[in-house]
Amino acid sequence: MRQQGGSNNRLLTVIPARNEAATVGEIVRRVRSVVGGEVLVVNDASTDDTSAQARLAGATVIDLPYGLGAWGAAQTGLRYAKRHLFRIALTLDADGQHHPEELPVLLDGWRRSGANVAIGTFPQRLSIAKRFAWRYFRTLTGIGVQDFTSGLRVYDGHAIRVLASRKASLLDYQDLGVLMLLRKKGLRLHEVPTVMSPRRTGASRVFSSWPMVVRYMLHTTVLCFAQFGWHWRAAPTRTRASA
Amino acid sequence: MTAALTATSIIGVLIAGAILYLVRRDHLHGSYALWWLAVAGAALLLSVFPQAIDWLGRATGIAYAPVLPIIVAIGMILLRMLKMDIDRSRSERQLRRLTQKIGILEQELAATKRGGASEAAAARPKTAQVIPLPKSGDA
Repeated sequence: MRQQGGSNNRLLTVIPARNEAATVGEIVRRVRSVVGGEVLVVNDASTDDTSAQARLAGATVIDLPYGLGAWGAAQTGLRYAKRHLFRIALTLDADGQHHPEELPVLLDGWRRSGANVAIGTFPQRLSIAKRFAWRYFRTLTGIGVQDFTSGLRVYDGHAIRVLASRKASLLDYQDLGVLMLLRKKGLRLHEVPTVMSPRRTGASRVFSSWPMVVRYMLHTTVLCFAQFGWHWRAAPTRTRASA
Repeated sequence: MTAALTATSIIGVLIAGAILYLVRRDHLHGSYALWWLAVAGAALLLSVFPQAIDWLGRATGIAYAPVLPIIVAIGMILLRMLKMDIDRSRSERQLRRLTQKIGILEQELAATKRGGASEAAAARPKTAQVIPLPKSGDA
């Protein structure tokens, strides 16, 4: 079903970036040395020189004419992956919280699980508010992932096609809406525990202020409501931390 | 004709006239024009023949007939707003996808022009960042 091992030349790493000039170049270089393949930085209308830094580091860069948000940028990368027939798409954040060195761990866990999508999570990182929020959404959706928002993910060709479609274009965040869409299409999720750092620069787009949190919780609850009870697929699997 | 009736007629004719003018000037597109022409017709009819409301009230068994057009109007407005939000969501989806496509095509265009050889393109992105819309003159 899937190409085992072999070269990574059908692998695309997508890095959505907005004003991450301080870190994006280093992340791109580390990804290139760790996993190889093509690295695509989707510049979400940055006002600093994120785009130039990424290009200098050897990434392919797509400059969006105006900001589409984290998911809009990531989806741009997945559409690029679909267009250029990549079989595997990795995504990670440009701010340095995801270590490129963890990508082989994620890829390995994903390959061995046979799932369509693997999410790298770092439960220890979660704040009380996030833990509470995720427990609420786990109950609501039945998707048993520790951290819904983690942008550290592997998608296979099937997932790329689903997420590049029009159906995924009105989602505002890359978390629950995306996961519910994948589940609705019958794709399997797998969770891999990884090591992450706290953000060095920038701030969480979702958990930046209380009004934003309220907005996010309401928005996502409505999304859950819209999807409610359509598919109760198998719960995501999880790689043991010892692996 | 009472003064009140004259007033409603004038208002109705003005509304209908304004809508007709806008439709004729092509400010409203397709199905919207049709909808607004219907509104203009109803405004004209009800303002000139307000008795129609009393007649409708009797026909539907509503004791206080003047409330009927208000209820119907509010219902229509709600439906209209719902349709507007549906249309807006569709436009938003199309706009986002077009934006993504522009980004992808611009990258491919630049890659094609570069021919995969020169590194000189490293300086280009700065112009691409500052100007918020896809440039027609982008060489």
